[in-house]
Amino acid sequence: MPQWTRTIDRASAAAAAVRPHKRAKWNRTEFWMLLPSMIVLALISIFPFFFMIYASLMDYSLSLDEPVFAGLDNWRRILTSETFWHSWGRTAVFGVSGLVLQLAVGVLVALLMYYIPKGRNLILTLWMLPLFVAPVVAGLLWKYLLDPTYGLYDWVLKQFGLNTQILGDVSTAMPAIILMDIWEWTPLITLIVLAGLQSVPTEPLEAAEVDGASGLQKIRYILLPMVRRMIVVSLLIRSMDILRYVDTITITTEGGPADSTKTIGYYLMQVAFRFQDMGTAAALGLTMLVVTIIMGNFFVKIMKKGED
Amino acid sequence: MKRKFSPLSAVSIVMVCVMLALSACSSSSNSPGQASAPSASAATTPAGGTASGATSEAPFEGWVEGLPKIEAPAGFNWRQFEGTKLNFISENTPPSSALAANIRIFEDATGIEVNIEQSNLDLVAEKVGLDFNAKNANYQIIYADPYQILTKHSRNLVDLNTFNNDPSLPHIPGGTEDFIESQLQADGYMGDTEHLYTLPYDSPTMVLAYRKDVFDKYKDQFMKEKGYDWTPSANLTWEQYYEIASWINEKVKAGVITEVKYGSGHEAKQHDALQCDFSNVLGAYGADYFEGENLGSVGAAKPGKSLLTSPEAIEAAKMYKKLLEVAAPGSTTWDWTGVAEAFAAGELAMAPIFHENNAMFEDETKSKVAGKVAWSVLPKGPKRSANLFGGTGIGISKYASEKEQKAAWLFLVWATSPQAQYMILKSKEAGSTPTRHSVYNLPDVQKGMEPGTEESKAMPNLLPMKAVLEAWKLENVYMRPKVPQWPQVDTIIYTELSKMLFNKQSPEDTMKTIAKKSDEITGA
Amino acid sequence: MALKRKTLYTALYILMLAAMVWALMPIVWMVLSSVKTQVNMFSMPPKFFFTPTFITYREMFGEGGNFGEFLSNSVIVSLATTVLSVVLGLMGGFALARGNFKRENNISSWIISTRMAPIPAVILPLYLMFAKAGLIGTTVGLIFAYTTFNLPFALWMMATFFKDVPVDLEEAAMIDGCSKFEAFRRIAVPTAAPGIVATAILCLMFSWNDFAFASVFSGRGTQTVPVAASLLISQHGIQWGQAMATGTIIIMPMVICGLAVRKYLVRGLSMGAVK
Repeated sequence: MPQWTRTIDRASAAAAAVRPHKRAKWNRTEFWMLLPSMIVLALISIFPFFFMIYASLMDYSLSLDEPVFAGLDNWRRILTSETFWHSWGRTAVFGVSGLVLQLAVGVLVALLMYYIPKGRNLILTLWMLPLFVAPVVAGLLWKYLLDPTYGLYDWVLKQFGLNTQILGDVSTAMPAIILMDIWEWTPLITLIVLAGLQSVPTEPLEAAEVDGASGLQKIRYILLPMVRRMIVVSLLIRSMDILRYVDTITITTEGGPADSTKTIGYYLMQVAFRFQDMGTAAALGLTMLVVTIIMGNFFVKIMKKGED
Repeated sequence: MKRKFSPLSAVSIVMVCVMLALSACSSSSNSPGQASAPSASAATTPAGGTASGATSEAPFEGWVEGLPKIEAPAGFNWRQFEGTKLNFISENTPPSSALAANIRIFEDATGIEVNIEQSNLDLVAEKVGLDFNAKNANYQIIYADPYQILTKHSRNLVDLNTFNNDPSLPHIPGGTEDFIESQLQADGYMGDTEHLYTLPYDSPTMVLAYRKDVFDKYKDQFMKEKGYDWTPSANLTWEQYYEIASWINEKVKAGVITEVKYGSGHEAKQHDALQCDFSNVLGAYGADYFEGENLGSVGAAKPGKSLLTSPEAIEAAKMYKKLLEVAAPGSTTWDWTGVAEAFAAGELAMAPIFHENNAMFEDETKSKVAGKVAWSVLPKGPKRSANLFGGTGIGISKYASEKEQKAAWLFLVWATSPQAQYMILKSKEAGSTPTRHSVYNLPDVQKGMEPGTEESKAMPNLLPMKAVLEAWKLENVYMRPKVPQWPQVDTIIYTELSKMLFNKQSPEDTMKTIAKKSDEITGA
Repeated sequence: MALKRKTLYTALYILMLAAMVWALMPIVWMVLSSVKTQVNMFSMPPKFFFTPTFITYREMFGEGGNFGEFLSNSVIVSLATTVLSVVLGLMGGFALARGNFKRENNISSWIISTRMAPIPAVILPLYLMFAKAGLIGTTVGLIFAYTTFNLPFALWMMATFFKDVPVDLEEAAMIDGCSKFEAFRRIAVPTAAPGIVATAILCLMFSWNDFAFASVFSGRGTQTVPVAASLLISQHGIQWGQAMATGTIIIMPMVICGLAVRKYLVRGLSMGAVK
């Protein structure tokens, strides 16, 4: 990285400490600047949101002419349904292990890239490739790799004497789905964290060097705290999507075998489109929204805490 | 919002109508020249009157001797809907690809533009449901799968009898009796036979595919060891099927059989396919899902209580579990596509497979088993052989304008006509097998059912047809129940079955659970 | 010391190599498979060396293949929604960062929560709206659908970036007689350029990869590449060759794009990273 970028970064970082002066008279321009976004968002977000609340109180099947008021029937049904809670349980496994592993691998690789003297750009470019394989295609690709008849990875495993049906066995299907998610999205975390690492000022590191800190100590006490915010940002971005995107599950296991990969997101898709029961789907969707928002707020809180 | 849009759309509709009327006037003035040019017979009809005086032949190419003709009332203007645009949403199946490739035949003759949009079945059901709910008619022509779409949405489809009985419109060539009756019932009706919602369009059916080379080569050895002829036929039982599969597995392990890796394979992924595969065994044991009558043919809104707790059903479930214990281990990852691919890769000696996959098996670029595949009806149980029918009809959205509906009717008449079905069969997309008796009576189609003939190479999907025609007989065919709650019930069935295959619950408990849960859904 | 450093670097590179194998093996295999014949694709043991054939690509782009159409749909829709979201997000983000709105925190958290909508549950209301407006199956409809997830993201990213761009220059410009909007256009936007690029790339990636919306809102003629990929699974087999070729093609534009702006991407993302 050229010296001048670092200087600029440092300058902007220093300047950032000065909070912008907010003045009332500025607000009119800002209001007009914000308005178009608010209108678009209102259309595509507020209406669907209230529609969801409305639908969750209705017996709303796509094949009925008019939805019928059903009170809290949908809510009662999902809250007492085994499938609902089991799906949430599996979602917790999927979401937590997915996020934790992505974070661990992502940060580790970012640190590796930060430390290697040569080839960082090339390696980063290659490392980012999975990000651009659309999840649908990634699902197809992994299905192909794990296929019991002609899959490359399946063949490799067979050479080691592991003759399992990765996507067709209750014990391996979920780990496989998690690994696919990790494969696809870890680079995003690496990218964001690496960006943070590269803008860490050199002075504290040099000072630590003089004090005789070890490499690990420098990582633990200087680098990681300074990129804490980037880590949280990347986690926030991932947590917004990890529950609701189920493309790879749709393409590979479709929730099976024996329901072992039926996450809440996939269950929602089934209810909405296969059963065409929009009332129940809306209730399910609202629970997902609430959980995602709680998760998001949790990460934002961590971020804010780091800023103080 | 509603109010704001309606005057606007009314104005635009009026404008469109005026424009269309203008264009129709201008086109009808020169249509005699256009229409008579491509087909000589159309020109002779008014003059000679060889055909019944009241009809005129349709201007579509592709008719051959022996098939009923597409006919319209005398003086019918085939181009009266010129300029109309129709969207046809279909599952991505070979017949739709074949139609898409040949849509020019229809468009040139009628001036109607048809967009064929193909998606997988789940997406089709989803989009059709949304489109109906919005009363939008973005899709005028619907591929209405009898189980996923028709059962839920029959009320959103036009009763085709209104067009078929309309003296001013062309009628179903050869009449509805030229369709295979069980298919017309399953595909076309819902709840009663008064309203005809779709016309049969494709007809995949599950029958037994087996490796002729393997079954010939080791026939004597099996005979010596087990004492009976193992060649699959209507006499084979599921017990024997199980025994054969296990025997082949043993011989493969011992290194005796090298042509295949496993005796049998099944489509047992947690998916619609698993329910289909299980239904074959269930039917063979004389059991069924619900107590209601005629559910497989016309269907009903209320199916009655679940019958899965019956001893026959539990026996069937036990048998099915047994079958899967000796099946290729990949079975739990395969839907209908997966098992067909594994068979094409030469892994399996036999498997229940949708017959239209034969086109893939005989394609040497995709398959290692070309020329080695033979077909039979599925093994029987204590009661019968049950072969699951998976065909679909096409219908018209109620929300389309009248003009669009009539234009769509012309498309339906053509697309399900014997000549179009014959064209689909012969197309290089290796389309589906016809839904028409008359096509199967054609001499070259008859020849195509014999292995080794030129015709069978040109139309590879005809090779399984002998078995399939046998499977379509009322005593052999298995039709899933047509109830609006089927997608939910289907999901319960295959999910619980999947749990059973992984020993999470016994066959008895599985059947009990499905019965309990599906009764909750159907309100029985 | 030098020796120790050397072993350390060797260890780093070995770890790096392992990570690369994990990330790239599937992609290498995908690219290889896309130039295999069907028979080679399914041969066991897997073949790494073979004579490549481009027959799959010819099928997809040649006569009868409409992959070009899918590709151009994807490009148009992704670019349009990215431009729309980034432009709106730029203005809105700036306003959020500089303005002094009441309940600013509430607005911000509402904005970001709109990106969390459970897609299958919001598709029906969106479908009803789009149907009224005649947008089903059109490119415009798809652009709007993508904006549901890109606009909140862009707003949020831009607001974060602008909060970290020093306000002094803008104030100076305004003292010199610039309007607020001019100060934004002339001073703030150029300063935040790397952040804008980074946001745009991520928006591009999200829309490029989307399947959930495209599968419902696209029609024949407006289907995007991920939808095309899903169509390769049909009742009569998965067209693996085309699936692998689709994968190969789908990463190409993003690779080129990514290479071209990688520097900005890293710098942009690092804006405001360190306090």
